[in-house]
Amino acid sequence: MTTATTTPADVRTLHDANELESRGSESGAVPKAGKLGRRPRRSPAARREERTGWMFMLPFVLLFLLVFVFPIVYAIYSSFFQQVATGGAYGGGEVVNKFVGFENFKYVITSDKFWGGMGRVLIYTVIQVPLMIISALVLAMLIDSFIIKHVGGFRLGYFLPYAIPGVIASIIWVYLYNGQISPIVKGLAAIGIHVDFFASNVVLASMVNITTWTFTGYNMLIFLSALQAIPHDLYEAARIDGANGWQIAMKVKLPNVRGAALLAMLLSIVGTIQLFNEPQVMHTADPGINNYYTPMMMAFNSSRGFLTPKGAGPSNAIAIVMAIIAGLLAMAYAFIERKVNES
Amino acid sequence: MKRNRLLMAGGAAVAALCMALSGCGGGASGAKTGDTEQADPNQKVTITYLHRLPNKPGMTPVDEIVARWNKDHPNIQVKATQFNGNASDMITKLETDVKAGNAPDLAQLGYSELPEAYMKGIMEDVTSEAEQYSKDFAQGPFEQMQIGGKTFGLPQDTGPLVYYYNKTAFDELGITLPKTQDELIAAAKTAAAKGKYIMSFQADESGNMLTGLAGASSPWYEVEGDAWKVDTQTDGSKAVANVFQQLIDAKATSTNPRWDPSFDASLQKGELIGTIGAAWEAPLLMDSMADKGKGDWRIAQIGDWFDNAGKTGPDGGSGVAVMKGCKYKAQAMEFLDWFNTQIDDLTSQGLIVAASTGTAKTPAAWSEFYGGQDVMKEFADANANMNNFAYIPGFASVGASMQEAASKAASGTGKVSAVFDAAQSASVSTLKDSGLSVVE
Repeated sequence: MTTATTTPADVRTLHDANELESRGSESGAVPKAGKLGRRPRRSPAARREERTGWMFMLPFVLLFLLVFVFPIVYAIYSSFFQQVATGGAYGGGEVVNKFVGFENFKYVITSDKFWGGMGRVLIYTVIQVPLMIISALVLAMLIDSFIIKHVGGFRLGYFLPYAIPGVIASIIWVYLYNGQISPIVKGLAAIGIHVDFFASNVVLASMVNITTWTFTGYNMLIFLSALQAIPHDLYEAARIDGANGWQIAMKVKLPNVRGAALLAMLLSIVGTIQLFNEPQVMHTADPGINNYYTPMMMAFNSSRGFLTPKGAGPSNAIAIVMAIIAGLLAMAYAFIERKVNES
Repeated sequence: MKRNRLLMAGGAAVAALCMALSGCGGGASGAKTGDTEQADPNQKVTITYLHRLPNKPGMTPVDEIVARWNKDHPNIQVKATQFNGNASDMITKLETDVKAGNAPDLAQLGYSELPEAYMKGIMEDVTSEAEQYSKDFAQGPFEQMQIGGKTFGLPQDTGPLVYYYNKTAFDELGITLPKTQDELIAAAKTAAAKGKYIMSFQADESGNMLTGLAGASSPWYEVEGDAWKVDTQTDGSKAVANVFQQLIDAKATSTNPRWDPSFDASLQKGELIGTIGAAWEAPLLMDSMADKGKGDWRIAQIGDWFDNAGKTGPDGGSGVAVMKGCKYKAQAMEFLDWFNTQIDDLTSQGLIVAASTGTAKTPAAWSEFYGGQDVMKEFADANANMNNFAYIPGFASVGASMQEAASKAASGTGKVSAVFDAAQSASVSTLKDSGLSVVE
């Protein structure tokens, strides 16, 4: 079935190649014309430009290899090893790096702790991401509308929590959640609402609140820049057609920030799967948040020896399995999003 | 011309990167030669020492102590560095440093971390060098720096568990220092009826404190041949579980985690008027209370509350070990013996010293806070009364799993005895995961 369509194309490519080849040998500029002939010849200026481009890339490429590619390769390599003691009750006074094949991955995949943590993180993502994206969108729409004056102040105010490092934010909130010193808890108690932010069925929501507080402003900025890129002619056209403010927001603005929403959702999903700062900091205040509460915490505490099996092998295996799951989730989300858009 | 300049800029960037990289590499290879050289006594050597002493204002800074040594010993120059991270992360740093070949010569290690450090092979055997210094230290702590008959360093401080209480508040409630288990529970209930607590169940410290309390009567870990015999459900553990369970059930103990701000808040409010704590907590509790209750507090030996026959157990305490790759072990140990016997300076750092070369004097601020009491004398008694506790490699993960169970016990969703069940299974699995044998 394909022969009819492919043959002419093949012929053309062959023809082009031959032509280039013959031209190359004619000029004699390229010694091994037979191999290089397929590529179009570039002028010395173009080659110089290419080299300049690579020179600009060089610092990035070197650092990228050094701090990104190399550690990942090394992590994958070491996930096939385990440190074990040799002989004696206390070990033989040294540990050996034993190749254990897929043993570490088997441990992760069959570990209740890992899947428990994964479950918590997924629940967390399902609650947190829509909550944050919708609030960010609403805030961005409000700021973009003409209802609000002093846009700069609002924009800065909403974005400010993002400027606070995640760990610091978590520490601040731990104080605000603390049953004995928090003005929030005391204030609520004064009007008859007794709330324990560390209760085992509430604590995940407490973390959701911290993350939402931190990242809503950041996502709002993404939406805001997308909103401001919409040509104003569209609004005018809609208004002439009799649309009111609400209709413009829903029918013109919303469809135009879809791309930004996809980006924000993807970043948020990947980010929330890696939930770490909040539970790790809150663990100090509430030891009931165990040290494998999320897969990231499990990896971290395995590497520190607070969970067994410990060491680089098991903790890298946890990190790798988690990265694969996060990647799959992001892909699945992007795929569904596209399908929905197409229909 | 333009091109050349670009090339040069690029080249310079690469060169700078290489220099930065080789900078680290160079330092590493310098210290890497692990084999001990027979050092000429007149040779000038440098010893590096990584510690995690608090170095707070009002204490004699470590650098000042070391400077005194350096002045008198031109041939053994010491460079001390403070580890600024979490104390529990220091062993991980040391492990990677030894691997990279740039470990310090001397490093502070908790007694409970020593078996782990030994298993990982990050310490030097200094049995022969240590022999002559054994007379300078109490025997118990000196043995804590030994594993399987080999010595790896010298002890620095100890952490016997004692009882801290606010005597004035006790008098107001009409209770006295409890001597027996029944008295303790009765007094706790009396205090709780008035909204005060004379005990605290600290979930986050359970791996250290409950272990110490249980270990006061009998060990958890024993070596049989080449294998470990693990029994964390000893009579001592059962007594500890029983007492705390009764206190929790009667709501007669505080359950704030030790390192949560709520713990300090309850001290300041005068709600928590008694707690078991390690000796090194004396200055910390003073800090927490910030002059509240100054002069009202006292320190006492733990009564016979946990069927421990008047004994107490350890909570923390550490020594300084000689790290793998140390070239000048004899010189390092010479300094270490001197440093760890600087009793007044180390006391100012809040340590209950392990040295037996002199008597530690109670700092004025402490005796003022603890109602003129000779605090150091009390701690010395506790030290003499303390059972040594042998830890296993990988104990950190045991402590972590105890915390989780303890937190459930504190909130009433679990039992205190489950803390010791968790310790049992975590101990066995951490030993097995590390490739060590366990007698079942």
